[in-house]
This record gives sequence, structure tokens and C-alpha cells, in this order.
Amino acid sequence: MRMSEWMDRHSRSLFITPAVVMILIFSIFPLIASLIVAFSRIRLRGGGYQVRFVGWRNFEKQIFGSEQFHFLGTFTSISLLGWIVGLSTTAAILWWMIKYCRTNFSVIGFIGRLITASMMVGLAFMFAATVLSGNPFGTLGTTLFYVVIGCGIQFIIGLGLAVLCAQPIRGRNFFRVVFFVPLMITPIGVGYIFRMMADTTKGPISPMWQWFGLQDFAWASDPWTARVFIIVGDSWQWIPFIFIVLLAALENIPKDYMEAGHVDGASEWQIFREITWPQILPVAATVMLIRVIEAFKIVDLPNIMTSGGPGIATESMSLHAFFAWRSLDLGQASAVAYLLLFVTVVTCVSFFNLVVLNRIRQQ
Amino acid sequence: MSASAQTATREATSQTKSLNTAKRLSMRNLNKYYGEFHAVIDLSIDIEPGEFLVLLGPSGCGKSTALRMIAGLEDISTGTIELGETDVTTVLPKYRDIAMVFQSYALYPHKTVAENIGFPLKVAKVPKAELDQAVLDAANQVQLGELLGRYPRQLSGGQRQRVALARAIVRRPACFLMDEPLSNLDAKLRGFMRAELKHMQRELGVTTVYVTHDQIEAMTLAHRVAIMKEGVLQQLDTPKEVYNNPANLFVAGFMGSPPMNFVNGRIEGGTFTCHQGRAPVAGYGDHVNVEFGFRPEDTVICSEDEAHLSGVVYSSEMTGNETIVTCTIGHSTVVVKADKDYEIDMNEVVHIKADLEKVCLFDGGSGERLRG
Amino acid sequence: MTATAPTQSKGLMRTLFEPPAVGKMATGTKLVVYGLLLAWTLFVLFPIYWLLITSLKGPAEVNSGPFYVPFVDFQPTLQAWKDLLIIDYEDTLRAYTNSIIISLTSTALSVLIGSMAAYALARVSFKPNLITILIFVAAMIGCFVGIGIYGVDWRLTLASATAIFFFLAYAIGKRVKVPLGNGDILFWIISQRILAPVVVVVPIYMMFQTVRLLDTHLAIILTYAVVNLPIVVWLMYDFFSSIPKDLEESAQLDGATMIMTFREIVLPLSKAGLAATTLLVMILSWNEYLFALFLSTAKAQTMPILVAAMNAGERGILWWTMSAVIVVMIIPVVLLAVALQRFISKGILMGAVKG
Repeated sequence: MRMSEWMDRHSRSLFITPAVVMILIFSIFPLIASLIVAFSRIRLRGGGYQVRFVGWRNFEKQIFGSEQFHFLGTFTSISLLGWIVGLSTTAAILWWMIKYCRTNFSVIGFIGRLITASMMVGLAFMFAATVLSGNPFGTLGTTLFYVVIGCGIQFIIGLGLAVLCAQPIRGRNFFRVVFFVPLMITPIGVGYIFRMMADTTKGPISPMWQWFGLQDFAWASDPWTARVFIIVGDSWQWIPFIFIVLLAALENIPKDYMEAGHVDGASEWQIFREITWPQILPVAATVMLIRVIEAFKIVDLPNIMTSGGPGIATESMSLHAFFAWRSLDLGQASAVAYLLLFVTVVTCVSFFNLVVLNRIRQQ
Repeated sequence: MSASAQTATREATSQTKSLNTAKRLSMRNLNKYYGEFHAVIDLSIDIEPGEFLVLLGPSGCGKSTALRMIAGLEDISTGTIELGETDVTTVLPKYRDIAMVFQSYALYPHKTVAENIGFPLKVAKVPKAELDQAVLDAANQVQLGELLGRYPRQLSGGQRQRVALARAIVRRPACFLMDEPLSNLDAKLRGFMRAELKHMQRELGVTTVYVTHDQIEAMTLAHRVAIMKEGVLQQLDTPKEVYNNPANLFVAGFMGSPPMNFVNGRIEGGTFTCHQGRAPVAGYGDHVNVEFGFRPEDTVICSEDEAHLSGVVYSSEMTGNETIVTCTIGHSTVVVKADKDYEIDMNEVVHIKADLEKVCLFDGGSGERLRG
Repeated sequence: MTATAPTQSKGLMRTLFEPPAVGKMATGTKLVVYGLLLAWTLFVLFPIYWLLITSLKGPAEVNSGPFYVPFVDFQPTLQAWKDLLIIDYEDTLRAYTNSIIISLTSTALSVLIGSMAAYALARVSFKPNLITILIFVAAMIGCFVGIGIYGVDWRLTLASATAIFFFLAYAIGKRVKVPLGNGDILFWIISQRILAPVVVVVPIYMMFQTVRLLDTHLAIILTYAVVNLPIVVWLMYDFFSSIPKDLEESAQLDGATMIMTFREIVLPLSKAGLAATTLLVMILSWNEYLFALFLSTAKAQTMPILVAAMNAGERGILWWTMSAVIVVMIIPVVLLAVALQRFISKGILMGAVKG
């Protein structure tokens, strides 16, 4: 009796302990170890490791040193367009910060916004100095391209399909099942399938390319088409996820609201904007947050489809870190991984706090 | 405790047939804090073995919290609870020997009626044959014998209620706790289940604590009623005493349907005076702020010269066996029960006379009863 | 109950082409809607069709321009399938069994551990002290610095770090309290999902190398279980929160222990959520690439690694075999999805929607 009662009283912590311990061992421990590795130079010696503390040198190398072209991009001089875009972005962010300080100031909120703002300014100038000045950008730019453009396209198409499928039409369950299919295909498989699809000489749509006179064109040989090519594959796989969640959200809205809207004489577009959109907004924000988090980790598609090429044009930060590891440069690999973690966390936290919470608070 | 209350509890004890299971339940100085919020304040009640005690009060008065503290589902901030001879203050719910009927009935949707009823015995590892017999007995007691194979979703509200009761009685616990068990039923069924519940409790003789906000349930079911407001016990007595001798303004206003009428005024030289009338109240000292309370059924409509109060008719409703006349007297609304053939139009003047024997006087500020 | 979807009673075709519920549309609008939906259907299905027919082609058919319809413009051959399943069956079979063992075990482990944690978080309030946690992290960092950079013996460092942690936890943690709540723990667990595999994989690799578990099932199983834990906790937390608390309190009063309540009441009621979560986690571990790349070299190689490795043949990619192997990889996922289909529509979507 005593024993079983002790179990009863402590089972609440017994329930959560395994999960916490597992996360401590396989997530927190490696996270801290990785931080240490990022600040050191590691050599393999006699089956063990020799670790030497080198301070910020690994990060310096990525941001200012010999790996700068790889991580940030090639910098020469900033073009006029670059200056305009960079300075106007800086001005807009400054204005946003000043507006915040004038209304409701809090220390934590200010520090958070300061971090977000400095990262935004840094990124703006990175893009201004690279792509807007005719120079190639590095893995950071590529990753952001996948995240921002890729996820944006996926959201728009996913939402569009969900709205279409929510219409009272015959066969909507058929479309729902079909649209779900790409989620079940392994990402590696998606990579190979799209390599076959994109073949302009022997692929299934090659007659079309030949008709346009593009038979000698290869998607993977031009930086921009290669990136678009990867976004197409990524979208093919992930639009179903956004589609399915948004469709469920759309179908969850009580019919009364729409009917009341119709009775009040609203047009279809007004009903969508005034009734449907605010109702699905929390779900849309959540699903996009999940998608953005996963998009930052993208590694298998670029590896399979283009191996990061041409050059480093399609290399994501994950792939960058992986290549560094493969060349046994553990310090660099960890530094790049930590930079990725920093960008991911700042982006996601900013998105959540400034966009999602703001909108939810307003409602 | 008044003399009549003692008689009532003694009655309860003598009715008890199976004294071996019924236990005394004592709460001593119970307090519950949720952070800053003081939900239950210094609650002490002794419940006799076999007694049916009703905790009555408006929502948020702490009655459900008190019940959940008895069950062990809420931690007790300070104070003790004793069940029988044992202190159960820190004992886990499962070792308290208590059964509870929830407002939602809490029937397990994936188990049949028989499995639901048998669950307490199953977790106690009672042998199969014994378990089946006990389930059958309990089910027969609440007339559910034929429905044992059904699932809760296939049952009507009243049947679900009975399953919940059967699950509570199958284990022969020392104490029943019921949290508004009838509030999800429609009015007619509620009346019927009330009678059944009362009959069953008297038959089993198990100590029962029953939480409700419905004063009719409290009046009809209880041996004693404990009325709570904002975490504080207001009065603990038999239904009759609570009705006839409310301890304060809150209790008087809470009991009865329609509730007691109040008119504000003052006492001067043995007479209650207000703008709309006066009434002799012999034996009370002078008092400035007085609520003059009288029940609708202790009031008659009379001629102008023998009236205590005069007002204007707001509405008059014929309910079948009587006519309820609502009138406004100054700022207060007064309800009078009149004969079913009585007819009066809106905005007419009425004169009313209260039964002075049954009038209750309260201090207008503190709400305490004034004694003559 | 959520578990019974309407699809059971109606026939499959009936469900797929059920007549519209309410509302009417103009014919023009309808045409546009159908046009767009069919266009997307084509975009979704054509690559899969191409995959299937490519697996039925030989080198000649693949290399000499596009052929679209088997038996009409090319003669299908089972050569690729023979290569895969008969001639090279050892490699395929080994990777396949590895993948099955790893994804089944790791899914079971993470669903079990994750739903237990989610249940505790949904029902019990915890108040961990932030100060104690900070002391713990500081002790951990101290450990690494000591071992890694100054080369102190790891047993000595670990022991002294533990001692220092307990001393400080009692000395400071007992007095200064910054209590956190369940929301913070939940957020902490879910936020682990932000970690890109590359951030943690190097130390995990080193860790398994130290204990000589590289290239074993156990290493990959444990890693996958933890990586998927946040998803399980998140989805299951929503499910458990939606179960009426009365049921569990009633069970508790009826004499059930927490474990019994969990097994007898909570788990049967969250079948839909469990099925959906299991499916999702299973797909994720089945397809996982980066961790497997680091942690397996030969013996524990999984399907994604096998497929990715076929990139590096000396004759270029053998598209026909590649297609066959991808089809083989997709089959179990499809089977699983079909088996759990009636739960998914109600399960994953609702869970995700609530999140």
C-alpha cells in the first residue's frame, strides 16, 4: 500500500521525466556541446578529439574572412540601386523602432526589437551589396530565398487550393485525397523525380522545351533557374500540407457566418476578407510558422537535385554545414549551424511576437 | 445548531439501515486560496453519518470548490477534513472511500454501461463473478438492468444520470459527493429524479454532500442546508428553519421562489415606516436602515384602511393555481401571491398586508437579521 | 466519438464523388474552379505517373527521348524490378528492414514518451524553478569546458559538476525562486523543433562514437525518437486537453492510479489523435535523411541513404532502378495512410487546427 501510494504521488513527475531526460541528452547537451565546438578548433587524434579554444575565429571567418563569399556572398562595391534599397530599408526600420519607443516601451520588448531590427538591416545590406549590385550571394541568402519566396508561394497556392476545395462542388473529397499524395513521397524521391521532370532533352516535357527552342538549356546550370527549380520541388511536396490544414480550418468555420454575410448582402470577396480570413488567420499563422521552421532546415532537395550547384548557388546553410563537416572542419560546421539557428530563432520569434500575437491581440 | 436541526439529524441517523458504511464527515476551518483569491473561507461543517447535506449558493460561491476539496481533487490550503475517525486531509482521492457524481456524469464514452458501473470494482481488482453480481445489483437498483450492454451515447439524459448513480453506489462508499447532478436534465425529469435520489439516499443511508444552486432541490432533498456566499458559510440548518428563519438578508433573498420581498425603511417606536406605508413591529428597538422582509405567500391584497403598504401594479400573471401580482413600491419590487381568480390591471394601485408573525427584519447595511 | 468517420458506412466512390451539400454556383465559376483543380491534379499526379512508368523502362527507353504510354510507345520491361528485388536484393532488403525496424521502434518510443509527457503537461501543474535550471545549464557548460578545452578527466569533471550543481541548487535554488509554468515547459519542448539537425548532429555523432554505437539501430532510433518528440507532445497535448477533465477525476475517485487512468480512459479516447500522430511521426522517421547520413555508414543504412547513394554510380544514374526503389519506398507510407485514413481526416487536421 505504501509503495503504491508513493507511486501515485510521484507518477505525475514520472510521466514527464523520460521526455525531459531524452531532450536533455539528445538536444540540450548537443546544443551546448555544439556551441563549444563552434568556438574551437577540433583535431582528430588517436581515436579521440583534441579541442582548442579559438574564440570568435570560426564566426569571423564566415562573416568577414575567407569564407565570406560562401556564407554571405561576394562583396565589391554597392550599386546605386543597392544603396537606395539598403538605406530606405534602414530608414523604415528606424522609423518602426522610433514609433515603438514612443508608444509602449518595455526593456525586453526593446531589446527583442533591437535584435530583429539589426538583423533586418544587416540582411538588407547583404542583399543590397550582392544581388542588387550584380554579385552572387552566399548560403544565407539562398536559405532566405527558399524560406521567403518558397513559403510565400506555397502559402498562396495552398490557400487558393483550399478555398477552391471548400466550394460546394462534386468530387471535393477526390481532390482532397489526390492533393494529399505528394506528402507521402519521400523528399529524396521528390528530388530525383524533379530531376527527371526537368530534363530538357529526354524528360516528359522536353517536346515543349524543344518547341520553344530551349533543348540545350539546363535548369541546374544557371543559378537562378536552379533555385527556382528547387523551390518547385519543395512546393510540390509541401503545398499539400498547407492545403490540408487550411482546408480543415475553412471547413471548421460555422456556416452561419457565411450565410449571415450573404443575407447582409456581402459579395464573395467581401465575405472572404471580412469573415473567412480573420477566422482562419490563427491557423494560417501557425501552419506558416511550422512551414518556415522546416524550410530553414532544407537540405535533402538541394543535395539531391543540384548538389548545391552550380557553384554554391543552391547551397542552403544546412548543406553548407554538412559540407564543412564532410571536410572534417567541425568548428566551421558548428559555427555555420549556430548562425543558422540564430537566424531561424530571430525570424520565428519575431514572426510570432510581432505578427501572430499582434493580430491575435487585435481581434 | 437549533433544536429542530438536531432532531432532523437524529432522524437521519435513525433512518440509516447500513450504519457500517455511513461515516461522519467533518470539515474544520477549511480555506482555499487560488493565488490571491480566497475561494473558501474558514468553512467548518460536521455532517452526521447518513445525513444528506446540501451546499447551496450562487455560482462562484465556493461550494463546488469545497466539494472538490472533500473529494481530494483540490489541494486544501489550510484546515482539515475527517472522514469517520481518520484524517483524510492529505490522503489521495482514491484512498478516501468516496464516490462522486459529476454534473456532466463523466461516463466513459468508450465503455458500456456495465463496464462503466463496474469500473470502480475493476480497478480495485474485485473477482469477475463478484463484480458482475455487484454491477447487476446496482443496475437493478436504478432500473438499468436491460441497458447494461449499451454505450453512454445511446442513452437518454435520465438514463445517463442513473448510470452515474449506479457507478457511485456499486462500491458502497463511505460518502457520496454530488456536483449539481440534476442540472443537465429537463424540468420534468429533474423533478422525478429528485424524488428518486431522495428515496435512494434514505434507503442506502450513505452520508451525502450535494452541491446545487437550485434552492428547490436543496429544500426537497436535504436534511440540512448549508448556504454559502463568496466563500463564507451563511447559515447551516434544516430547510424549514432556513426558509422561515433566515439568518441574514442574503439567505432570505436566496430561498423561495419567488423570493422574499424587501422594502427599505426605518423603525421608530415599534413601528416600521417607509414612504409607502407603515407596519407595527412590536419588540424591535429603533433602527435607521431596515429591510422589511415578507414572503409573497404570507401577503394578502386588502382594502386601503387595513393595508401596511401600497404600490402600483407592474404586471399580473395567472399561473393556474394562483395569480402572481408584481408591484412597485418606491424603488423596490414586491411580489404577492393572490387567489387564482384575482384580476387587476397594470398601473392600478394595490394595497397589501403582510402576515406580521412571519415578517423578518434585517439591518440594511450589514444584512444581519434584527431580533426583537 | 471522433473515431467513427462517415467514410465507413458509405462506399469509397460514393464518398469521393458525393453530391454537394449546399449552395449553387454559376456555370462559369464552376468551370474555372474545376479547371484550376484539374490543372493542379495533373501537376500532382503526372510526376508520380512518370515515376511509375520509368520503373518499367529499360536503358534504351530512358535514354532515347520521352515515351509516355506503356505498350503504346514503348514496351515495358520488369528489368529494373528484377535488378532491385532479385539481383541486388541483399542491399535493398537490408536497408528496407533497417528502415522498418528504425521507424517502427522510434515511432513507438516517441509516441509513448511524448504522449505521457503531453498528458502530464495537460493535467498536472508543474512549477520548475528557473534558477535551478540556469545552475544546471551552467554546470553542464562547465563540464564541457573542463573536459574539452582543459582536458580534465571526464569522470572527475562529471562528479565535481554534479556535486557543485546539487550544492548550488540547495544553497541558491531553495531560496531564490523564479517559478515557471506548464506553458513554459510545453514551449521549451516544442521549441526543440526549431533546432536544425545540423546544429546538434555533430555532438550526437561524437557522443555515439565515444560509446561505440555509431552505425547501430539503437543510435538512430534514439535520435529519431527525440527529434520527433516535440511533434508528439504538441499534437497530443491538444488532444488530451480536449478530453473532459471530469472523466479522469471520476476515474481517480473510483480508485484508479494515474497510470491506470491514462491506460483505461485517456488513451482509448485519443485513438484518433494517436493514429494521426503515429502516421506523421512514422513518415518523418521513414524519410529522415540528414541524421541517418551522419549516424549510419553500412550496417544500419536506411532507405533514404540507399536511394541517395544510387546517385553515385559510375554509369550515371540508373533512372529505371532509381524509380523502382523510390516506388518501393513509397508503398509502406501509402499503405499506412490508407490503414489509418479514417482517423486522419478527423485527427491530424483537428489537432493542427487547434494548435
